[in-house]
Amino acid sequence: MSPLAITLRDTLQNEAKQFDEMVDLHLDVPWRDFLRAWGELRADDLLKRDEAGD
Amino acid sequence: MAQTGFREFLNDLDRAGQLKKITKPVDPRQMSALGSQSPTATLFETIEGYPEWRVATGLVSSRARLAIAMGCAENRIAFEFEKKSANPIDPVVVESAPCQEVVMQGDEVDLTSIPFPLMHLFDGGPYISGTFAVSRDAEYGSNAGSYRLMYRTPTETGIDLVSPSDMRFYYQRALDKGESLPIAIAVGVHPLDMLAASYKAPIDTSELALAGGLRGEALEMVKCKTVDLEVPAQAELVLEGELLPIGWSADEGPFGEFSQISGDVKWNPIFRVSCITRRKDPIFYMLQMPWENDWLAAPVTEAAGLQALRIASVQPVDILAPVGACGYWALVASIKKRPGEGKNAVAALLSVAEVKHVIVTDDDINIHDPDELDWAVAFRVQADKDAIIISGARAKHIDPSVKSWELGKGGLPTTAKLGIDATIPEGVPRSMYRRIKNYAKDRVRLEDFE
Repeated sequence: MSPLAITLRDTLQNEAKQFDEMVDLHLDVPWRDFLRAWGELRADDLLKRDEAGD
Repeated sequence: MAQTGFREFLNDLDRAGQLKKITKPVDPRQMSALGSQSPTATLFETIEGYPEWRVATGLVSSRARLAIAMGCAENRIAFEFEKKSANPIDPVVVESAPCQEVVMQGDEVDLTSIPFPLMHLFDGGPYISGTFAVSRDAEYGSNAGSYRLMYRTPTETGIDLVSPSDMRFYYQRALDKGESLPIAIAVGVHPLDMLAASYKAPIDTSELALAGGLRGEALEMVKCKTVDLEVPAQAELVLEGELLPIGWSADEGPFGEFSQISGDVKWNPIFRVSCITRRKDPIFYMLQMPWENDWLAAPVTEAAGLQALRIASVQPVDILAPVGACGYWALVASIKKRPGEGKNAVAALLSVAEVKHVIVTDDDINIHDPDELDWAVAFRVQADKDAIIISGARAKHIDPSVKSWELGKGGLPTTAKLGIDATIPEGVPRSMYRRIKNYAKDRVRLEDFE
């Protein structure tokens, strides 16, 4: 897992956040790098929602 | 000569003074906000991190630009759509196509190579919002529709397949056999093709032939590289792949919906991409929500209303799907009325799939003037006689009032529909509605006294 993906994972494990809030925390990161890291979380099924989607 | 496509339409907008070109570098996270501030369509010519790409948005977020696409006056769009859609032209398959100048398969597939925009607060991810999606069923044939895609991984997206549609039906049929459904997604096609894809055609009606009818020539298609489907040859970008046989089980959304509401998370299938093809210098299309979607919806809804009125043997004079009701949920029509036809017209218009509220007036009312419409409703309507309510009709999930969250995964909501017959009631003489008129109005002019 990339360092950015680890950072994203740790942030979300600490506190649930909206996608745009996660983006706001990493505006200095090139968009494509952010997408790759986000994709790593998806691929590892680390992004969770409850039945209501929250 | 190449068939007219997305970039030729951009040239049409440019010639009409309806395209703003932005040359300064723009980040994909900024594009939606910037495009939403422009009264014209926008072409971003330099995208940070995506040197091969340009991005266009707001192409049809006004009736004026839609009229340019249709090649007619603004108040004739629905009638033009109706006329041309009555003469469908089957597509033709060509051997080579600009949309396949670059081909990425297998390990080369990487959706992060596309400038997926982050469009709204609360969106569940970056989205491709303006798509021309093609699928096929062995029994029912080819279908085209428009479905949003949410970025998930470099090879997968979410896809909103909640609402009833032919592709949802095809997917369910594949799912019943435990199979995936091959699909192809074209991005950056002419607005007429988008209009055809948006049309809620009966399942035996080809949206591809409808696109040909709207164009006045066969839509050129090219065979996909990895799935047994064809896509518009002049598209800017194509994603080929399959809807995985997982049913409605993956979270998708929220997304800024065409209802102008930031929607809920939905449970949807996953689209796995097997191949990306594109032009060498592609222009990504970012359909600007909600207005661009709503303006595309309006003529389709209006044409469906005209068709419903004609089937009911009612003569329409004008029709309007107000963009405030997102081009879907309301229809207002004026008619040349014979006794009883106000009610017939209301019933006919309420039969249009998503339409929830209907007002029908006589032909002396300018339905584009809200004050005239209010006047007609105020003085020609008795609610106990002229309002028609239908319960339990098909609905869209994104209408909060249908409480779709109570239905569970894959559930389909229903709604009540309301129609108002605001035509002059039978038995009331038309002379009772003689409008006030200033004495000497036709003989004196204010500017002569200034």
